[in-house]
Amino acid sequence: MDFSFELIKSYMPYFLRGTLVTIEISIISIIVGTIIGLFISIGKMAKNRVIRTPFIWYINFFRGTPLVVQILLVHFAVIPTITGKTNAFLAIITALSINAAAYISEIFRAGIQSIDRGQMEAARSLGMTHGQAMKLVILPQAVKRMIPPLGNEFVVLVKDSSLGAFIAAPELMYWGKAMQGEYYRAWEPYLTVALIYFILTLTLTYILNFIERKVSTE
Amino acid sequence: MIKVTNLKKSFGDNEVLKEINVDVRSQEVVVVIGPSGSGKSTFLRCLNLLETITDGHVYIEGTDITDPKVNINDIRTEVGMVFQQFNLFPHKSVMENIMMAPIHVRKWDKDRARQKGLDLLKKVGLADKADAYPDSLSGGQKQRVAIARALAMEPKIMLFDEPTSALDPEMVGEVLEVMKQLAKEGMTMVIVTHEMGFAREVGDRVLFMDGGYIVEENTPSELFDNPKHERTKAFLSKVL
Repeated sequence: MDFSFELIKSYMPYFLRGTLVTIEISIISIIVGTIIGLFISIGKMAKNRVIRTPFIWYINFFRGTPLVVQILLVHFAVIPTITGKTNAFLAIITALSINAAAYISEIFRAGIQSIDRGQMEAARSLGMTHGQAMKLVILPQAVKRMIPPLGNEFVVLVKDSSLGAFIAAPELMYWGKAMQGEYYRAWEPYLTVALIYFILTLTLTYILNFIERKVSTE
Repeated sequence: MIKVTNLKKSFGDNEVLKEINVDVRSQEVVVVIGPSGSGKSTFLRCLNLLETITDGHVYIEGTDITDPKVNINDIRTEVGMVFQQFNLFPHKSVMENIMMAPIHVRKWDKDRARQKGLDLLKKVGLADKADAYPDSLSGGQKQRVAIARALAMEPKIMLFDEPTSALDPEMVGEVLEVMKQLAKEGMTMVIVTHEMGFAREVGDRVLFMDGGYIVEENTPSELFDNPKHERTKAFLSKVL
């Protein structure tokens, strides 16, 4: 096996460009996915069965079908139908966001429902509205418990963004494949790509650990 | 003060309360005793609508709280509750636990709420614990904070749901002492408890519940020394 650092060096500008796109896709998808996830979790916790049902099936569908299929559907079917043309960058962000939202909504729900029922009862017995009890008593406790699983989900999302290569979104994995195609080499591009993903997820993990520590000492 | 008429409560097919009629006068201390599963906690929780009521009416100071038009949050500000499991807010200090509802529900300013909190902590003997967190307190201390928290809303009625059942025996006394003091000051109280000595000493009236009914009610001395009903006799022979 001959391993060429020179080759990696010459291709580095493309890797860096791809890394920036990967970071961009990840950050936007994490934010959008969290917002949608919050909305879905509220819907799923609705008392009314009719309101609850579509949210339950949203979660079932996006957790129960492969992410690659969802990405291809969004890229080749959904986005062209709406905008009239394909857009890989938009497609991967959309697919990652709506997929992550399904998982994130369950993290929110589990976090809220893990708080002892007595907490809500005590707050309500003091005359607080449901909203006040949520804001002052339930959510501050639930958020602490949500941070570790949310962190996992964000790390998964960063790695899943590599599926953007399937639809030629110009993220990191895409450039890895491009390098393989250009030079007929496998070790150099994929080890480089793996290392960069590893650095990204490790950084994210450190950030999340920091937030977790901060929240738990407050 | 409290009037309960034909109260019924079912969980699914399981009818837990089967026709409860009770009147509680102002400043009266009513103690509810009975075997577990007799419905006494459910009865208490119906008085501030922590349980939805299946049938019948509950009037608090003349307001029918089963009327859907009634804002239950307003009623609850007048009805304090103390739970078996304390249910203190673990993410807040003792003082913050006490100040939260007065500030957010009664809309008091912070200084007034803090002053009230200090007064109440003195009253329950925990003035030095204002800045402690619930996790660092003993069970008896937690329950005294929970009582102070409920009192901070200046309720007219206090409900106690087995307030000493989760405590180590040596901590029961300090909680009962606080409750005795409250009774002396004229608080209207409904207390579900297994502390028969306390019921006898502090109660104006004792209700014995079994199987979803109030089987017998009387003054403590009459009920404990001279029970009329067979089931009351059987129960008392086991617990006294």
